Amino acid sequence: MKITVSINLGGYSFNIDEDAYTELKSYLKNLELHFAAEESSSEILSDIETRMAELFRTKITTYKQVINIDDVRQVISVLGTPEDISDNEGPSVRDKFSSPGYHRMYRDPDHRIIGGVCSGMGAYWDIDPVIIRVIFVALVLAGGIGVLVYLILYIVLPEAKTTAQKIEMKGNPVNIHNIKDSVKKEFDTVRKNMKL
Amino acid sequence: MDLENTKAQMRKGILEYCILSVLSRNSCYASDIIKELKEAEVIVVEGTLYPLLTRQKNGGLLSYRWEESQQGPPRKYYELTEAGRSYLADLDKSWNELVESVNHIRTR
Repeated sequence: MKITVSINLGGYSFNIDEDAYTELKSYLKNLELHFAAEESSSEILSDIETRMAELFRTKITTYKQVINIDDVRQVISVLGTPEDISDNEGPSVRDKFSSPGYHRMYRDPDHRIIGGVCSGMGAYWDIDPVIIRVIFVALVLAGGIGVLVYLILYIVLPEAKTTAQKIEMKGNPVNIHNIKDSVKKEFDTVRKNMKL
Repeated sequence: MDLENTKAQMRKGILEYCILSVLSRNSCYASDIIKELKEAEVIVVEGTLYPLLTRQKNGGLLSYRWEESQQGPPRKYYELTEAGRSYLADLDKSWNELVESVNHIRTR
């Protein structure tokens, strides 16, 4: 028995196995990263999603109603990985992101208590955010400077919204393996919240 | 020397030209363009087509319209603009020159 996920791809709805979903999502994230420098990246992505939906439709029959991981891999091989695509169209800005150790401080919205400042600092220095929270609380109690510092950091630090930013926050290079891990973690969090 | 790489470099240049040529006959849905390019073996992975189409559209060579489809959501049909036609005419000319140049060298 397997859990399936229901997705909307290019205006069609599909039931897709959980492992296939993770694979598909990390592929699409990678493409997003690859085309990030293009003027109309969202348009390119939505065209590609439409095409994927069309190819997936040919894999659905009365006897096989769910998209599995082999279908996803097959469709990815037809459309090509970002590396295959760039072989045919020259360099992209991808290399800028994948330089090792690209490391920025962000606010971490996934583990926040108030605004994600402490959790972001924790992720940046790879220490338990509880330690930073204790320091902040101490600073607040000792004259209130902690409130001001927190507010300034809240304003100055951007929130880590995209998968790539969340990986940068931890100082890992943005590449296919890290994206796959990160997507899987996001998916597990969603699943936990839904108590599946 | 990497043969595959050299071949990829050769294809890269002509792909844009081929897309415009396909569209010069009639307006097309992206999947129809892919079918023709695949039959002619000028494209390897389909993903290459979409950024090129979008760039050509942003460059004013193509425009598109949405058309209802019986099989699902509306489809994007691309067609050449006036600018696209004259661009293609220039490419036709330089393609003929290229073929001639290469043949000249090969048949010496």
